[in-house]
Amino acid sequence: MKRWIAILAAIAIAAVLPLLLSPTGYWIRVLTFTLLFAAMAQVWNIIGGLANQTSLGHAAFFGIGAYTSTILVLKFGISPWIGMFAGGFLGGIAALIIAVPTMRLQGHYFALATLAFGEVMRVIANVWTSLTGGPVGLSVPFVPPSIAAYSFKQLLPHAYIALIALIIVTFIFEAIRRSAMGYRLRAIKENPAAAEVIGIDTTKVKLQTAVISGVLMAMLGTLYAQVAVFFDPDTVFSAASISIRVALIAILGGVGTAIGPILGALFIIPVEELMNDLFSSGAAGLSQLIFGVILIAVILWRPRGFITVFDSLMARFSNKARS
Amino acid sequence: MGGVYAVISIGLTLVYGVMGIVNFAQAEFLMIGMFVSWFAWAYLGLDPVLAAPLSFAVAFGIGWLVQGQLIARVLKAPSVAQIFLTVGLLIVIENGSLLLFGSQFRSVTTSYQTMSLSLGALFISVPYLIAFGMSLACGLALWWFMRTSWFGRAMRATAQNPMAAQLMGIDTALMYKIAFALGVGLTAFGGAVILPYVTVFPGVGGQFVVLMFTVVVLGGLGSVAGAVVGGLAVGVIQALSSLFFPIQLQNLILFIVFIFVLAVRPQGLVGASR
Repeated sequence: MKRWIAILAAIAIAAVLPLLLSPTGYWIRVLTFTLLFAAMAQVWNIIGGLANQTSLGHAAFFGIGAYTSTILVLKFGISPWIGMFAGGFLGGIAALIIAVPTMRLQGHYFALATLAFGEVMRVIANVWTSLTGGPVGLSVPFVPPSIAAYSFKQLLPHAYIALIALIIVTFIFEAIRRSAMGYRLRAIKENPAAAEVIGIDTTKVKLQTAVISGVLMAMLGTLYAQVAVFFDPDTVFSAASISIRVALIAILGGVGTAIGPILGALFIIPVEELMNDLFSSGAAGLSQLIFGVILIAVILWRPRGFITVFDSLMARFSNKARS
Repeated sequence: MGGVYAVISIGLTLVYGVMGIVNFAQAEFLMIGMFVSWFAWAYLGLDPVLAAPLSFAVAFGIGWLVQGQLIARVLKAPSVAQIFLTVGLLIVIENGSLLLFGSQFRSVTTSYQTMSLSLGALFISVPYLIAFGMSLACGLALWWFMRTSWFGRAMRATAQNPMAAQLMGIDTALMYKIAFALGVGLTAFGGAVILPYVTVFPGVGGQFVVLMFTVVVLGGLGSVAGAVVGGLAVGVIQALSSLFFPIQLQNLILFIVFIFVLAVRPQGLVGASR
């Protein structure tokens, strides 16, 4: 009961917050991207947290989603809402293609294989000029604002769509975590051999999570394309600013927990924006440098993420209350 | 090229073989090696190839500190923490050098840069030949060190079974430091050696990172002999793919070979020998 009140309160705050920000301002953009990246990190969390497979190639699915919906609009005038599902479908297929040969791999090997897959997609998008426009990138065409065409004058609706997306993927994450599949995944995580012995088809379960994660990531790619309006292969298929960043957000927040990616995004995206703001006039690379230092510090200090800070605070609090 | 690929990749495989950590920041030490050598050339007038030992020493020192202060703390942590610590290191080193050195491209000029030897119908470029020779010497030195010296044996023992090694009185923490420092030092050495024909800038590591991982995975992570075979194999793959494919697709071929090998034979072509 208490839990639900907390969740509803958080959603209510998140729902009111965009209204308080200037609708044409800078912070609503930051908020939209924070929500979007929180959703992306949550999707990564399905495979990275629940299946314990550290993917460094989620940009592949993300980019597929962004390109699919935008190409469908450009060439056939199909609404991005439909394009989103087409992208999701292709993202799922891509996830299957990479996951079938690599799911047996663990830890570092899986990270390397997925990293390379993301790069493959980036190179293909750069080379396949007739379809993707190549390195020049694509612009989402301007259409008269309407909900059906997924086109708005202001950022406010985008912020709400990102919020709804975050809520949906968080519920999907929780549903999987609590389902029989979640228990199977946990068994695999604890002891793969034992899980196999008691009759869990480990490869099949992991494949399912990979496909779900790939589909959702591609759909979020469409949301990104609609907000960003312009993108090129090196942004949407970027290893550093998509693949590694979403994994990072989940890890800093707390891998395998529903709240982790949200905490991580609330921290990282605004901090990044702030640093870009503060140091953009200064030397190039400084904000990224500080970002890297923060990352190293957090990993050394809290290898399981910020969530442990809250946990230990809560523990201390309840101990005090008891005594 | 294959021989150079082998040397810069041996460092990576050494770190993995001894500590079980994939150092995503390894290619940044290549960049450090190149910068050290470039500065030695620009300010001391040293030939970049002769500055290679200096590059090795600087990277060795940095590696020693990084291992002792940072990586040692996550050796027993989940692999996610290890991956992201080295990713963080990559970000810090790359952007740190961007701050220090700026983003311009730097290259050296040497007397032998454009020379080539002709062996019958075959032309071999002199800087490539020198790089290959230096790499070969370096690889042999490492091999000799690992085989015959006490440190080499102690390091191999640590790789096989850290607990048993510790019981035998080996300071495993020291071994890890030496292994990591040696690994990044070798990569930096390779960086100095290729400077005559590769321009250096803070992002140069990114151009080599896939290549290094492909070499190492081809040979089997952790296998030094494998890295040599893998290095030569990648050199050949690159040469062949440049005959049949446009230049933009060369990396693609490498990536696909990489994923394919990981999927089919993650222990590498040579097998699980260390």
